[in-house]
This record gives sequence, C-alpha cells and structure tokens, in this order.
Amino acid sequence: MTDNELIAQITQAVMDGEAGIASETTRLALEAGLDPLSILNDGLMAGADEVGKRFESGEFFLPELMLAGRALKAAMEVLNPSLVGKNLTNGSRGGGRVVIATVQTDIHDIGKNIVASMLTAAGYTVTDLGVDVPLKTIVDKAEEVGAQVIAISALLTTSMPYMKDLVGLLLGRGLRQKYIVLVGGASVTEAWARDIGADGTARNAAKAVTLVRELLKTA
Amino acid sequence: MSDFLEILERSNTGEYITEENWDLDKVATTVRRLVKKYRLEWDRTQVVTDDPSLADAIYQAGYEMAAELGAYCRSTERIIAFSQAEIDQGIINTPQTLVMGEGKDFRTLYARCLGDERPPLFFGGPPGNPIPQPIFQPNVVSYVQEPLIDLATCGTLTEVDGFPVRTGHPMEIVATRRELQYVHAALNQVGRPGMGMLGAQSSVSELGNLAASQPRYLRPCDSHVVPMLNELKMDNRNFSRVVNSLDYGMINASLPCVIVGGLGGGPPGSAVVNVASFLVANITCRAHYHLLHPIHVRHVATSTREVLWVISVVGQAFSRNAPSIIVADIYPKSGTGTLELLYETAANAIVNAVTASHLEGCGSADGRLPNCSGLEARLMAEVALASHRMHMTLKEANLWVLKLLPLYEHIFTQEGGNPGLPFDQVYDVSSIQPLKSWQQMYEQVKAELQGMGLAL
Repeated sequence: MTDNELIAQITQAVMDGEAGIASETTRLALEAGLDPLSILNDGLMAGADEVGKRFESGEFFLPELMLAGRALKAAMEVLNPSLVGKNLTNGSRGGGRVVIATVQTDIHDIGKNIVASMLTAAGYTVTDLGVDVPLKTIVDKAEEVGAQVIAISALLTTSMPYMKDLVGLLLGRGLRQKYIVLVGGASVTEAWARDIGADGTARNAAKAVTLVRELLKTA
Repeated sequence: MSDFLEILERSNTGEYITEENWDLDKVATTVRRLVKKYRLEWDRTQVVTDDPSLADAIYQAGYEMAAELGAYCRSTERIIAFSQAEIDQGIINTPQTLVMGEGKDFRTLYARCLGDERPPLFFGGPPGNPIPQPIFQPNVVSYVQEPLIDLATCGTLTEVDGFPVRTGHPMEIVATRRELQYVHAALNQVGRPGMGMLGAQSSVSELGNLAASQPRYLRPCDSHVVPMLNELKMDNRNFSRVVNSLDYGMINASLPCVIVGGLGGGPPGSAVVNVASFLVANITCRAHYHLLHPIHVRHVATSTREVLWVISVVGQAFSRNAPSIIVADIYPKSGTGTLELLYETAANAIVNAVTASHLEGCGSADGRLPNCSGLEARLMAEVALASHRMHMTLKEANLWVLKLLPLYEHIFTQEGGNPGLPFDQVYDVSSIQPLKSWQQMYEQVKAELQGMGLAL
C-alpha cells in the first residue's frame, strides 16, 4: 500500500467511525515510516474535518460524530507516543486541553456532546466530565489535567446561575486568569457570558471550535 | 406500587454498561439496523405521510427496539430490561380516557383515532418558557381566558422576589410553589378554578415536584411531567417523581424529547426512537398520557419539516396500532409579535390535530424567552378545530403544510432566529388583551388562512 493510500484509509476509517481500523491503520502507517504529523493532519484530522462539515450540513447525525470521535481517540492512543517532542502548539491541531461538562443540576448533554466531539475532531484533548457535575469537580479536574479551557453547558435557565458560580469559584481560588472559560446552552447569550465574567459563547458547535482556536491563539 | 418497585430494583441489578456504549452500541446501532430492516425512508414533500404501511412499519420497528433494549438508568449505569409480555401489558394498561380537572371545568382526554369524530382538546400555555414574576399571572390568564382552551400549562419562574432560582436548590421549591399559586389565582380570575393543568414547570429536579404534591398546588386531578432523557434513559430523579405520584395519585405525563438528528439519526430513526420511548414510558414513567415533543437537533422547533414528519408518523403509528392519549406540543421558532409565529402555529396545529394528537402550546420562541401569549394558542385551537370540522384527510393536511412552510421556513437560517417581542410588549398586562399591532397580525393571518380555504 502506498503512503497516500494509507493516509486515505485512515481518513476513511475516521469518517466511517471504525475505531479498530483507524488504530490499526495508524499503527501500519507508523511502521511504514510515515511522518506522525502527516498521519495526524492529513489522515486523522482530514477525516474529522469532513465529518464535522457533513454534520453541519445535515448529511451526518450525532452517531456519526460520536463514532468519529471514538475512532479518533483510538488512533491517537497509537499515535501519541510518536508525537512527543513534535511542535504541537496550543490552538493548532493536536494541541490544547479542554475540560467540558454540563453544570450541576442539569442533565442535558446532547449539545455538550456535540461540542466535545467537534473539539476532539479538531484535535483538542477533551476531558468530558458528563452531566450534573459539581463545580468543584470541574475546577479540580481542570487543574489535574492541565487544561487551558473550561467549557460548561446548561440548557436549563435555572441551572445557568451555576455558571456564574463557577467563575466565582475560580476567582475565589485565584485561578481565574489561568483558564479560558466558555459557556454554552440554548438560553446562553453573549450578554450573559459577558455579565458573568466568562470569556465567550458560541451559537453552535462549529463556532465553538473556532472560538476555542481563536482564544487559545491569543492566550 | 410493588410492581413498580420491582422495575425500579432492576435499575440496581441490570446489566452494567457505560452511557457512551448505551448511546452508540445499543441505541444508535439498533436504530440503524431497524431503519434498514424495515426500509424506512422519509420524503421532504410528504410531511404528513398518508402511507399506512409506513406508519405501521415505524410502529413495528419501535416496538422491536423497546423490547430489545428496554431502558437505561443513568444514575446506576444499568439496563432495565423488559420482556415482550411487559411491553404488551404496558400497552393494555394505557388509559383510553382520562379525566383532568374537577367540577364544572373538568375535561376528558381520550385516545384519538385517525378521522376521529370527537375534536381534540387543548392545553394552553407556554410550557417551560421563562416568564418574569411580575407578568407571570397575566401571562397564564392570557391563555386560560381563551374559551377554546381546555387545560392549563405555564412557563417557569427564574426569579422569585428578586432572587435567582437555581435548580436543585431550596429556591426551586419556592419557585414551583409560587408558580402554582399564580396558576390557581389565574384560574380563579377567569372563573375556571377546576381547570386541570400540566403544572410544576419550574421544577426541573425532583425537588419542586415533590414539594408541590399537595392539593393546594398540584391536585390529584392535575398532571405533572415525568421526563425521559435522550434516548430511552431514566434516572433516580425522575423515578422519584413516579413513586411520589403513584402514592399521591397524580396524573403522569411522559416526556421523551427525542432529538431529530440525534442518536436516532434522521427523521425515520427518530420516529422509531419516539415510538420505543412511549412504549418504555408506559412502564418506566407509568404514563397516563404521552407528550409528543420531538425537537430538531439544530433548530429546536417542532415546526420544521423533519419534526412535523416525526409528529405525524408517530401519531398515526399509535393510532393504528396501540391507541394512547397523546398530546403533541407546539414549539415554534418564532416569538410573539411576528407573522411567522402564526404560520408555524397553523402548520403544527394541522399536523397534530389530523394525526390523532391533542394539542399543547405554544412554547413560542423555542421556549427560551417570555415571548409568548394566549393569542397564538387561540389560533392553534381555531386552526385545529377547523381542520377537524373540514374532516381534513392526511393528504389534504400535507398540502396545507406545504403551502404554509414557505411562509416561515426562512427563519430557521436567520441569524439570531426570530424571537419577536416579550409578552408585556404585545399585550396590555392590565386588561390582558393583545395590543393593536399583535391583534392585527393575528387577524391578517386568520384572513389569509380563510382565503386559502380553511374553515375558520
């Protein structure tokens, strides 16, 4: 198999959400001596980009997005040791750590899952804490994994005050400047994000990825 | 109660599975297989399908999914499995009639059939829209004063006496009780104190719900929501709502908000998930009636083509195979003070009424803002009753929707949506009557609909 064929197969495996094939083909590509950065950018990320585009256009649905994320994760486990020492700066593909959660008392996760999958597809290392997550747990996890971004979601209007409380908790612990705090959810507006002292919000998952990329560049 | 406790115990002893694996390896994989097996397809120009074999196939696929998967308990990460006999018993136990409310104001909901001679009933209110406290009661009055409205629902309070309401916090109890005090006051104000309601909308966790289970707040003749989580999931919070109401005697309304474009994939798969959800909810939610409220993965609104298709085919599927009391929500994208809200409401009302559902609405402006009023609920009821009077067929309903869609579909791609104006800018909150500009829009759309041939 040629190098280009291997890369194309990796791309296809991500698009098909085939975790086993994605990790196996990545291993084969490494054994064949392909540049790990090329495997990442031309293979895995090209597939993830395409999945993201098709989701945005309505051609793909949530399962395709989640399966692609799963395939990407599996392949990255194979690829990661070879990326050590490579130039993966924050905000570029393969760089940046994000802790994401639906805040305490809110159990809605579809929007959060879509953003998490799209961020994973864009190359960020995403720690998804799930739903109804206590604020202290979110901050502690961000500290533990060395995140640059904390992204929190709430669908319920009556769970949104907890977003403000999270910013307060970061301020109280002297950690506010350390993190980019993004908020999201059906009722979250830019004015709300500004009022509670967050760094931004986005109307959809694709815009959230762009926002993370931009904010990490200027951080 | 004891048979329900046995179901509940399964959430502690069932097969363990992570939530991600439930979502992908169980729900998404099963739906894909069933959509293929039953060759389920949808057509953007057949928003109301008149193909009975399609509705039956959707039902069969949903039944198979419910029997094969059961439900998932998010609190314990375990599967609650059901036998086919239990699914069948759930269908047999489904009420065919249900009295809500009391005294002169009671109404009897019933399992509708296609072409039913009896008219649908109407829940009036903006289910879940955040409404500021000073205009909460006038907002409820704007709906329940409408003679065509049979049953009440309402928005939520996000602040009480200047203090923000937080879910799971003592303020949730305060907000839920205050909400119900306002609803009762509104019903008294319009002389319909016995009207039944779907209440405790301010209770998002179980906290407010439990605190409101008293005759001063939610009476046994009222109903409350027992949500299912996406998809086919329960948790201990929502089980708590069920065990409480089983003992207290309240009416359970199941609410699985199936996401069209979510784990079920496109409209056919989402319809299958919705059928399965209702069948599972017969057991896990002890549902007396079901709220049919699929939502669009991007646009939320129930008035999109995809969601209208799901509503129409799920309504038909149950009517033909397992008649149940189904109340289909109307959640338009647009808010009050816009023409599009009225077109969206009209399209949704026709679909819901003709495909065997009762109606609830409207959660205008995607249910996100206080941009909602009784006037669009009046139109909802008028349009639904007109389609009923005209004995509108499925084919005719489809033609109506195809005429209405071009009048509002542009708002789904409009930056910022089409929120319109808050209640207190379209109604005089003292007289609780629509302001002239909003009244004129209503009259304009009504005249247009009459001109198009609707017997309003």
